[in-house]
Amino acid sequence: MKDNTYIPKLAKIIQIKEEVGGARPIKTFMTQFIQDNSFSFKCGQCAMLSVFGKGESMISISSTPLIRDYLQFSILKMGRVTSSLHEMQEGDIIGIRGPYGNGFPMEKWKGKNLIFIGGGIGLAPIWSVLHTALEKKGEYGDSMLVYGARTSKDIVFKQELAELRKKMKVHLSVDVEEPGWQEFVGFVPLNVLEIKPSPKNAIAVTCGPPIMIKFVIQNLKALGFEDEQIYTTVENKMKCGIGKCGRCNIGLHYVCKDGPVYSWAELKNLPQEY
Amino acid sequence: MEKVLDKKSFPQWVTKLSSYKVYAPVQEDEAWNYEVITNPEKVNLDFPNTVLSPKKIIFPQREVYLEFSSSDEDGLELKEVLPEEEPSVIFGVRPCDARALALTDKVFSGDFEDIYYWKRRNQVALVGLACSVPPSPNCFCLSVDGSPFSTEGLDILMSDLDSKYFVEVFSKKGEQLINAAKTLFKPATEKDKKELEKNRTEAKKRISRQIQNIKKIPPVLKGMFDSPFWDEESMSCLRCGICTYLCPTCHCFDINDEVLSSSPLKGRRIRTWDNCQFPDFTMHSSGHNPRPDKASRLRQRIMHKFQYFVDRYKNYQCTGCGRCISRCPVGIDIIEVLDKVSSYEG
Repeated sequence: MKDNTYIPKLAKIIQIKEEVGGARPIKTFMTQFIQDNSFSFKCGQCAMLSVFGKGESMISISSTPLIRDYLQFSILKMGRVTSSLHEMQEGDIIGIRGPYGNGFPMEKWKGKNLIFIGGGIGLAPIWSVLHTALEKKGEYGDSMLVYGARTSKDIVFKQELAELRKKMKVHLSVDVEEPGWQEFVGFVPLNVLEIKPSPKNAIAVTCGPPIMIKFVIQNLKALGFEDEQIYTTVENKMKCGIGKCGRCNIGLHYVCKDGPVYSWAELKNLPQEY
Repeated sequence: MEKVLDKKSFPQWVTKLSSYKVYAPVQEDEAWNYEVITNPEKVNLDFPNTVLSPKKIIFPQREVYLEFSSSDEDGLELKEVLPEEEPSVIFGVRPCDARALALTDKVFSGDFEDIYYWKRRNQVALVGLACSVPPSPNCFCLSVDGSPFSTEGLDILMSDLDSKYFVEVFSKKGEQLINAAKTLFKPATEKDKKELEKNRTEAKKRISRQIQNIKKIPPVLKGMFDSPFWDEESMSCLRCGICTYLCPTCHCFDINDEVLSSSPLKGRRIRTWDNCQFPDFTMHSSGHNPRPDKASRLRQRIMHKFQYFVDRYKNYQCTGCGRCISRCPVGIDIIEVLDKVSSYEG
């Protein structure tokens, strides 16, 4: 009998880290499969997480596929399932099925400079591809991260970002002025214009709130980036993860299966249904 | 294989199929639906359109597919729940509903085969009944590549020739059903075949409704995404969802957990039909909704059936059964909507 993709595999939460507190809290969960570790995935793919008794939620995998010991998910508390996840403790059991989706076409990006542009929780899907590119440094050109959040308290992976500065250029921003903030103040798209990354031999990857993505793309275009050089991810409500339950489509594309990664060349021709 | 079966012998055939779970249309008040048959004498193939298509037998409205319970200390146990092994046969399947299953077959295949769907599908034989008389005044199968005697998806097709049925067999599953009562079936004569031809010519003529210029619809729809057309057409919609709920080709579903006991945890994961006409079908947990109004949801229903599905699978996702037209409480008529689409000038 073929593998039944609807049945999750059990995994233990081995570590929970509070990234952001307050009204829009974010926690990072490290999970380990209880029985087998055969789960292999590509950067940008997602997994369907189960809190048994509450339901399932599609979450992007933020760890790199080069690490086989655990999977990492950074999750904003939002609906029923993500709220339950936020109440869980280390040692608790969840279910994981997948991976789902297309992932980033990193093979096509070899030799290119990678510009990562993230906002808020949008750093989670970027984190996987960014660290994979860092590990395989010889295969890619220079990398740069442009990341912003509403306030400095809303910035995820704070310690890791400090570490990252030793390895690549990191440009941070907050939306509004606050005491002690030394870096850029303003929305992420404006910071992109300020930094002016060169489109020459470059790929830009942007994840974040739809409104941010819209203006990041506009500004990248103004800087001379072609549609084919810009990649982003799309979110929609999902249930099955395999293109059958019918709700996550934008036009004829099922985001769960044909997405969530799209180049702007692809996405601009699809209806605005996300 | 072409045979004839005397109408009087039909119950005997059904009786011989005791090793199968037998479904046939059953009347309750005004409504006909496919139900399990225990008394072969009661099978009546003189029925109008059933309320629900036989899709509900293969893809049930609600199915438990996983059970979970807490085990020792902090452990959890999962149990996969698969459909029962039971060879089944459905009598009186309308050709449009059989074609609809041929379409859902495509959806539930592919990179990820849907094990629940296929377990049932593979053990069900479909015995069709050709529509000598349209079972509904809103039948329009001829407009969507179908016909009242289409054989697609069927194992057997029976055609009503007054005192007997003309029986055509298309598959191994079908042959097995005939072999269970071999002596009841006689070879079809030339006269029978002629009568069948006449019957079919007449049957086609009896279908009065049709879509104009169906071929034009997929390309025209491509340019209509942002059209105010959808606002106008959806104005009267009550978002009750009956159109998609009764549709034999619709396959959207929801997945939810049901908790039977919270401590110790015991529950099950269920899949239920869902509906693109409901607002929360696409609503994100943030409250953002990519299809926030009736217009965008009617557009989704029409575009899915007559553009996206055509692009993906080369078929219209509609077999012309007319259920959505007959049952819409406010008279939204998919034929009228599509006729306006084909003559649409943005």
